[in-house]
Order: sequence, then C-alpha cells, then structure tokens
Amino acid sequence: MKLTDREQDGVIVLEPRGKIMGGPDATLLHDKLYEFIQAGKTRVIIDLSRIEWMNSTGLGILIQGYTTLRNSDGQLKLARVTDKIQSLLTITKLESVFDAYDTVEEAIASFN
Amino acid sequence: MKPVIKGNSIAIPSSQEFLTDVDVFIEGMLRGYGTDESDVADIAISVSELVNNAILHGNESSLDKAVTVTISRNVDRIEVSVADQGSGFDPSEVKNPIDNGNLLKEVGRGIFIVRSLMDEVAINATDRGTTVTVAKNI
Repeated sequence: MKLTDREQDGVIVLEPRGKIMGGPDATLLHDKLYEFIQAGKTRVIIDLSRIEWMNSTGLGILIQGYTTLRNSDGQLKLARVTDKIQSLLTITKLESVFDAYDTVEEAIASFN
Repeated sequence: MKPVIKGNSIAIPSSQEFLTDVDVFIEGMLRGYGTDESDVADIAISVSELVNNAILHGNESSLDKAVTVTISRNVDRIEVSVADQGSGFDPSEVKNPIDNGNLLKEVGRGIFIVRSLMDEVAINATDRGTTVTVAKNI
C-alpha cells in the first residue's frame, strides 16, 4: 500500500492506494493518522477510491481512527468508497458508523 | 525461511511480511483460472483473513512454524485451504461482530467476513494445527 496526504480547506485528506491486508502496509495508514492527530489536525477524510480491496485489518484501522478522532473532538469521514469496500461496510454494519460521501469536495463541505 | 511454492501451494513462515507473497500467488492462480475479478477480490480478501488468523492466532507468529495455502479449481468451484501448525485455534469462537456492543471493536471480523464472501467454510481444528477450507462457486 502507498499513502499520500494533503490539506485542503483545513481538512486532512488521506489517499491510500493498493490493498490493506495487514502487516507492515497497514501500519502506514495507522501511523499517518496518528501523526496528524498529534499535530492537532483532527478533521480527516480518507479517500478510498484507489484501494483495490481491504480486509478486516483495514476496517479495524478505520474504526480506530474514527474512535480516536472522536475522542479528540475531531471527526473521520470517508469519501469515494468503492463498491467492494461498500459491500464490506454493509456486511459488517459499519455503514451505520461512518459518514461517507461520493466526492472529496462534498466530504470537505460537510465539516462546515 | 522464505516462501516456498510447490505447484498449487505456497508455504510461508508465520510473519505478516509474507502476506503479499500469498496474495500475489493466489491472485495469479485465480487469474490463470480465468476467474471473474469480483470473485478474485472476494477470494483474496478471504485468504488474507485466514492467513492472518493462522499467523497470529494459530502459529502465534512463531517463525519456525509454517502457514500453507493450497488452491484448486474444478468446473464450477474454487477451493482454498489454509493450514497452520498451532495448537488448535478455532476462529469460529469469536463473538458476533455485528452485535451493537461489538460494532466499534477493532478486531474480530475476519471469519465473519470470510463466511459472508465465500459459499462454504469448513474448520478442522486439532492439537496439531487448524485447517480452514473455503470454497466459492463460480
């Protein structure tokens, strides 16, 4: 997995690419998320459009980020969720937990 | 110890650093079978869950124990088995992850996802290891 990040209108946008299956790849997203939380940047969007697939490890990272940001008075939102990941969110009932948007712009606007 | 491929099987040491080796092998075999891309993803996700379980819970990350993944196909079905050399971890014992009280837990969804994505799941846990065999109708 590769990961890029940018700040847009005061919101952090993380864009992971590839697969999230566990092990060293998975810690990359986890560590980056915590780097921003430590820096006080607690409005975060994860753009999932370039993730081929993720397993329960990926879902666990999303939940951990969601919970940690919420506990820091911040928020984690998802954007451009692929059909395969949406299917996993539905199966696991996590679609009821995450705010998800069709575009990154819509997700950014939702913070205001 | 490094990954060893023999025909339709791959054996890896019990470390997550070899997850990618298993994925490349499995997805390569599936595409060689001419499998639909959506089924490739479902099977690859399921195998990754089972290999993670085998490494972490079955073999408890002991590098001298192997995880062996074997794939086969007949006319309308793909079958994959994942075997560890642990002391009989039974992944079916985990709590239901979609109960409201478990929804925000970070772990415990692996076998639930496998059961959702695959058509058959059989678990054989003994004191010499656990073999999970999954099948998908194609």
